[in-house]
Amino acid sequence: MELFVDILLSGVAQGMVFAAIALGLGLVSRATGIVNFAQGAMGMFTTFIAFSLLSHGVGYWPAFVAALALGAVLGAAVERTLIRPLQGKPALNPVIVTIGLLIVLEGVAGSIWGNVARGFPAAFSQRGLVIGRTRVAFSHFDVFLVCAVVVLVVAIVALFRWTNLGLRMRAAAFSPEVSRLLGVRVGRLFTLAWALACAAGSLAGLLVAPLSSFSPYYMDLNLVYGFTAAVLGGLLSPVGALAGGLVTGLSIAFVGGYVGPDLQPIAALALLLLVLMVRPQGLFGTSEVRRV
Amino acid sequence: MLHVEGLSVRYGPVRALESVSFEARSASITTVLGANGAGKTTLLRALSGLVPSHQGTASFDGQRITGRAPEAVARLGVSHVPEGRGVIAELTVDENLRLGTFVRVRRGERRAVVDEIYERFPQLRDKRHRSASTLSGGERQMLVIGRALACRPRLLLLDEPSLGLSPIVTAQLMATLRELTTGDGLGAVLVEQNARSALSVADWAIVLNLGRVVVADRPARLAADADLRRHYLGF
Repeated sequence: MELFVDILLSGVAQGMVFAAIALGLGLVSRATGIVNFAQGAMGMFTTFIAFSLLSHGVGYWPAFVAALALGAVLGAAVERTLIRPLQGKPALNPVIVTIGLLIVLEGVAGSIWGNVARGFPAAFSQRGLVIGRTRVAFSHFDVFLVCAVVVLVVAIVALFRWTNLGLRMRAAAFSPEVSRLLGVRVGRLFTLAWALACAAGSLAGLLVAPLSSFSPYYMDLNLVYGFTAAVLGGLLSPVGALAGGLVTGLSIAFVGGYVGPDLQPIAALALLLLVLMVRPQGLFGTSEVRRV
Repeated sequence: MLHVEGLSVRYGPVRALESVSFEARSASITTVLGANGAGKTTLLRALSGLVPSHQGTASFDGQRITGRAPEAVARLGVSHVPEGRGVIAELTVDENLRLGTFVRVRRGERRAVVDEIYERFPQLRDKRHRSASTLSGGERQMLVIGRALACRPRLLLLDEPSLGLSPIVTAQLMATLRELTTGDGLGAVLVEQNARSALSVADWAIVLNLGRVVVADRPARLAADADLRRHYLGF
């Protein structure tokens, strides 16, 4: 029973990280119809910058905020310089470009910070909380992690649902040509979507770094899980991303706990295949044709 | 108001428009007629900036609009209502209309502008919180025209607004257009396949054939010319 509860709790914490990655993937996919394979690597890179700041004596929270802001800047810059020129080109081009960016970012990070695994500090204690008389596998840091992602999801939902900016962003994503004819500056909104997505990726990177062995490659597997979560959630809604993240997190936590951690990536891919075969629009998606 | 001179558009080697010149005045309807493939839609798309023009210029109130991005042209007050699928089906009726008001209407006046559109098209008010995908063809046409009006435009570019509408709804639409363009200076360029109803409301008509202007005249004179009707207008 204790094992079950521990697995459940660690699955929720992991799932939140995947939800943040899935949210970023969904924002970009919805706006520009592209799967950003560099989503994880961009988060990795900004987390390494936070790591450098920390090792130069900057406090945790300033470094945290700086990494989020840098994530937004990086996302906007990538959209403007690498993605925008590919408009109207074959759909494979952005796939190749984002995979290339993933490789470049990992290579550059490796040459700056070294290809070694290290530790990344957490904002709060990582010792399990004591509930009743038992210590569970859920720490103060996990509480922070869950809250941070829930706040992110609520903020994005509120942006889309209740603000004029969100209405413009939805219109631009669904119908860019009509939006432009109404005077909406669609290009800027796509840049903004990339900025938000990559800030979400940075958040995921910062949150999962203390739980991983922190190297330039630590986001690779998380991107696979985040991608599974995004497909599960239907790629369109932030709430879908959250649900997809939780299902993926719990699935791989239970496979890891009861079967073996080696099988976790395979379990995620099996889950991905299952969803694509049974319900390709995702748990929350509508049955419109996918662009990617 | 709109001054087009020598406008040419090419799609690769295909000459879609060839040296088109005409003028559209404020507070009047200029209709652009012609068979399928004559270049009518291309003309509107070139005016609103959706396709680049190869040669020639178009200017609106003295400002050159060729070479500008579509959003920049829209901000000057040119509202292009594209053919067929102009409704954003994923948004509600109200959201579609609000979207029109963001650029040229001040923040405090936006609600009033949307309410004005509901006054004009009461059916839309009844369905304001429904998804635009649930609307009938006629209601969709009301929505796209209402949304174009919510932009507070000075020139409407309408691409086949009667497409798929019954004769009664088409007649209502043309009457609405006539009413809108009498008074506060709103001009309209009306592209139509349905030449008969377009000629009945227009103040000036041009006929395109294979990308060139073949006739420009008063609608009554076009309607009276049996040869012209048979060759280019199909009625």
